[in-house]
Amino acid sequence: MGEMHQILLKIGPAAFRIASAWREPLDQLAALYSDYPAPADQSVDFTVRLEPEKPWRRFIRPSVHIGGDFWLPDAAPLPLKQGLLAAEMGMNLQMALGWRRHLLLHASSVEKDSKALIMTGLSGSGKSTLSAMLAEKGWRFMGDEFALLSLDSGQISPFPRLISLKNEAIGAMQKIAAESRFGPEMNATPKGDIRHLVPPKAAVERMDAPARPALLLFPRFGHAPELREMGKSEVFVRLTQASTNYVALGEAGFRALTRFVDQVPVKAMDYQSTDQAEAMIRDLWSRLP
Amino acid sequence: MTQKYRAAAQDDLIWHDLDSMTLLYHRPSGITHMLADPAPAVLEVMEGHSLTAAEIAARLTATYEIEADIDSEDIVLARLEELSGLGLVARVTG
Repeated sequence: MGEMHQILLKIGPAAFRIASAWREPLDQLAALYSDYPAPADQSVDFTVRLEPEKPWRRFIRPSVHIGGDFWLPDAAPLPLKQGLLAAEMGMNLQMALGWRRHLLLHASSVEKDSKALIMTGLSGSGKSTLSAMLAEKGWRFMGDEFALLSLDSGQISPFPRLISLKNEAIGAMQKIAAESRFGPEMNATPKGDIRHLVPPKAAVERMDAPARPALLLFPRFGHAPELREMGKSEVFVRLTQASTNYVALGEAGFRALTRFVDQVPVKAMDYQSTDQAEAMIRDLWSRLP
Repeated sequence: MTQKYRAAAQDDLIWHDLDSMTLLYHRPSGITHMLADPAPAVLEVMEGHSLTAAEIAARLTATYEIEADIDSEDIVLARLEELSGLGLVARVTG
């Protein structure tokens, strides 16, 4: 095994060590995460390793295998040009499979007036893009991938990683965010074209500040604008599906999720443009108790 | 002999009502069950007793003032078999 480079990152409550056989992805991470604090005492929750698929492939058509404390045996290696994506996917994987201090919901979240808006849904629902867009319009960005639901207080803790923009969302955000906040564009990845966006400064400065969940939305992009009620049973089932660690948390997860479903107002929201969604969200927000 | 059934111990279960369904968290298995009527009512009237399907049907009729009909015992029996498949009810032997 050759020399490994490494970088330590703290994102919300989680601290990571990213170790890599190559410098390039770490240099990109260091630049994009330059405003984030280092873990207090050098201790980390998870290690992500980016290693050559085979030792000789460090140099010849280098291909990045994602490893770490938790890993999936069938995770396909990525070309070195997508090393930054590999690091981000590796961090997500560690959280999804290993985090036990919160109930993890696969959802984006933003905050205003100390209240959190949580958006969950299938890939392509627009939850990530909506959180990125709202973060440029007066909301505090809390995360585009995981909302961390406290098992005790019921509050949502931020996990404001880089915002992972896909396909059309890249162009949309380039119109409203400064070019200096963007990472390299990676084309034809397993998830399409991807470009990372550094969250606004306030998101990083206040990444330890939780917020009370005040509204849960199930956005769905590409349908005529409509808001629909959802039954609590359906919401509960959808959230267990959206959680990566509900089963692992046992009784604590059950209690946290039932409390969340009982207390947080929910709407299904169809929309055809982010402007439309923003107007619907603004209206819903103004009518919250 | 007619088959008797016993519900999982109350201490092993956490009940939570949602709109149209009842959630039951089963502590020993760590599994969350989502039950529709009348399964929650069947479990409720069983309390800690070993009972036959006929006895449970009679308790349901008395508790919920449901009109007894010839099918009620069959319905209860079908739910008991489903609940035992989930580990929420056990067949009592001996």
